[in-house]
Amino acid sequence: MYSVIVVPPSCEGPEDQIRIASGERLVFGRAARDNGLTIAHAGVARVAGEITAHRSFWLLSNLSADQTYVVENPEGAGELIKVAPGRVEAPVPFEFSRVVLPAAGDLLTFDVWAPRHAFRSADRQVLSGTMTTPAFVLDRTTRYFAVLAALCEPRLRGEPHAPLPTTEQLVDRLRSGWPEVSSSAVNWNIDYLTVKLRLRPGPETAEPGRRVNGKKESLVSLALRFDLVREDDLVMLAPVPADSPSPSGVSR
Amino acid sequence: MTERQSYAVPVPKGYRVGAWEVREPIAAGAFGSVYGGRQRDGQPSVAALKFLPTGTRTPRQLSHLRDLAEREVELLARLRAPRLIRMYDTLTVDDPDHPELDGATVLVLEKAEASLDRLLAAEPRPESGPALLAQICEGLHQLHHAGWVHGDLKPANVLLMKDGSVRLADFNMAAELEGTHAYAPAFSTPDYTAPELLWPEIDERGTRIRPSADIWAFGVLAHTVLTGTFPMPGGTTEARTDATARYARGTEELRLSAELPDTWRDIIRDCLAPTHAERVTTQALLRRVEETAGTSPSPRLPRLRPRRWRRPVLAAALAAVLLGTATAAYTLRDQEATAASAPPTCERPMPYEDARYGRGYTAGWSGTWDFTVKQGEGGSQVRELQCLLRHLHGITGVGEADGIFGPKTHEAVVTLQKRTGLTADGVVDTPTWRALRSAP
Repeated sequence: MYSVIVVPPSCEGPEDQIRIASGERLVFGRAARDNGLTIAHAGVARVAGEITAHRSFWLLSNLSADQTYVVENPEGAGELIKVAPGRVEAPVPFEFSRVVLPAAGDLLTFDVWAPRHAFRSADRQVLSGTMTTPAFVLDRTTRYFAVLAALCEPRLRGEPHAPLPTTEQLVDRLRSGWPEVSSSAVNWNIDYLTVKLRLRPGPETAEPGRRVNGKKESLVSLALRFDLVREDDLVMLAPVPADSPSPSGVSR
Repeated sequence: MTERQSYAVPVPKGYRVGAWEVREPIAAGAFGSVYGGRQRDGQPSVAALKFLPTGTRTPRQLSHLRDLAEREVELLARLRAPRLIRMYDTLTVDDPDHPELDGATVLVLEKAEASLDRLLAAEPRPESGPALLAQICEGLHQLHHAGWVHGDLKPANVLLMKDGSVRLADFNMAAELEGTHAYAPAFSTPDYTAPELLWPEIDERGTRIRPSADIWAFGVLAHTVLTGTFPMPGGTTEARTDATARYARGTEELRLSAELPDTWRDIIRDCLAPTHAERVTTQALLRRVEETAGTSPSPRLPRLRPRRWRRPVLAAALAAVLLGTATAAYTLRDQEATAASAPPTCERPMPYEDARYGRGYTAGWSGTWDFTVKQGEGGSQVRELQCLLRHLHGITGVGEADGIFGPKTHEAVVTLQKRTGLTADGVVDTPTWRALRSAP
């Protein structure tokens, strides 16, 4: 039951990610011991800092003598926090963070995700802990939500058995609202969604001659079954281009 | 940040659905609205009408609401047990002039007096707590025994009836077991959610859930009823959820309130075992809860409204006497009953009036007329049966009222059945209950 995922600089895949649970600590530095995160660069202190998972967010301690660390929100249009040397347990509010360590002229980075960030409906002002709530609510301002909406779009527009868009089609669909989108960014967000929604890996159904992407298929059916994306969320995508058929008549 | 719509269904007072006329709003739940209802002809004359927004033109066309409505209807149609709320009928609104209502599913349910969370709001540690918990546990046992998981047990889903007895309700999350687990929709009430379901893996059918999740919820509910506080520390739901996760990981101990009596502490601890496999089974839990509630100083059921007596002068005098004695709020009808200023007991069954079956005797353990029991079963219905056999019908061969339906109880039932001309099969069905509850 981890609450924070640390992605080392040269992360090859999920097996290299470090998952830490609420209350657990992870030390990082040039000579981090005890399963810490080793950052092999002469400009980094032996014990440079510490990450503590706390509930659904995390705390950063800067243990260096004289370097300020910066935590950026890669989706936040320049949103960042600075953590001064010696500051312990600075709370980091972002769901996605990039920790930047200055090291002898270089800037070293690693990522930290906090997929347990919870969102709750605004009409829950009355403080009772007993409302029945969905097991997950997504942040509609994020890129992963845009990717999910684009993925679900054909079926939400009234074609229940429409084939899912390919990664290239998703990139085209998302470009107008997200100019720097790339196929690796789209795939990254799809992978993140499976982590965020705790999707159990389904059996890979592959028919001869046609490769079916089980992961995308599972994501879409889960999202539609529990109304994680609804037809009125599609307004966040650009209007449907006029030359493509549009059963719901939204094109203009 | 994320806006979610309310699922409330506004229905005007006086609106008619089938034979029913909508009265006052009772509650707006997470997935629908409940109104009082009455009908002029037919029985019962009052009911609770639960409107679920399943119509084709429901705002936003939420498909999962259909699934949630179907779960509740299916469970209530197939399962009938004394501690589960009874469904009389289901209706679909056919009213093109009210598009917001057209197509809504209406469940016609037994009408309750209040919910447990309302009782707790008025009286955080009700004196009748242990007795209530015994009945809630009995309901859970009836549900699990029939192969279902509730999935959302909490005070708001426990209803209190006019006679002070308890019914479990709100089965939108309920799921029928397929082998060892069931699939529940991905909703939960975090403060009552077992740790394995806090961040569960999920697939296209939903979350896998086991009966032990209800046992965890019962542990939280019991702690809340008995002490007025949640078992997990923290001022917010998020903090308590986090404490639950740390406890399940083994990094934090369970620290239950110091106010808890030792017997309840052990029971709650066994409900709140960190993994599902370590949790107590429903059957064993029921036995322990009934024992503990039975020996606690105040097994009194809550009185939700003043008793109605036929003779008000006597009632006033007796009310003073009765205040502070253990009694269920049965409506007693005649001199014989009012003469006894004590509640029904095993040794001294008393007459009471059942809304559906009319007048009959009860020994105070169960008011059922239709919960079938037979050899090999156990619980409060069996205890009721044994008390009536021994102390109303004088069949002493039944032995002590221990709540276990063994060979001696079977023989005693057969004796009664022969005596009253029923099929002598030892199975206690409605005709047998009728015979049991009639004076010999």
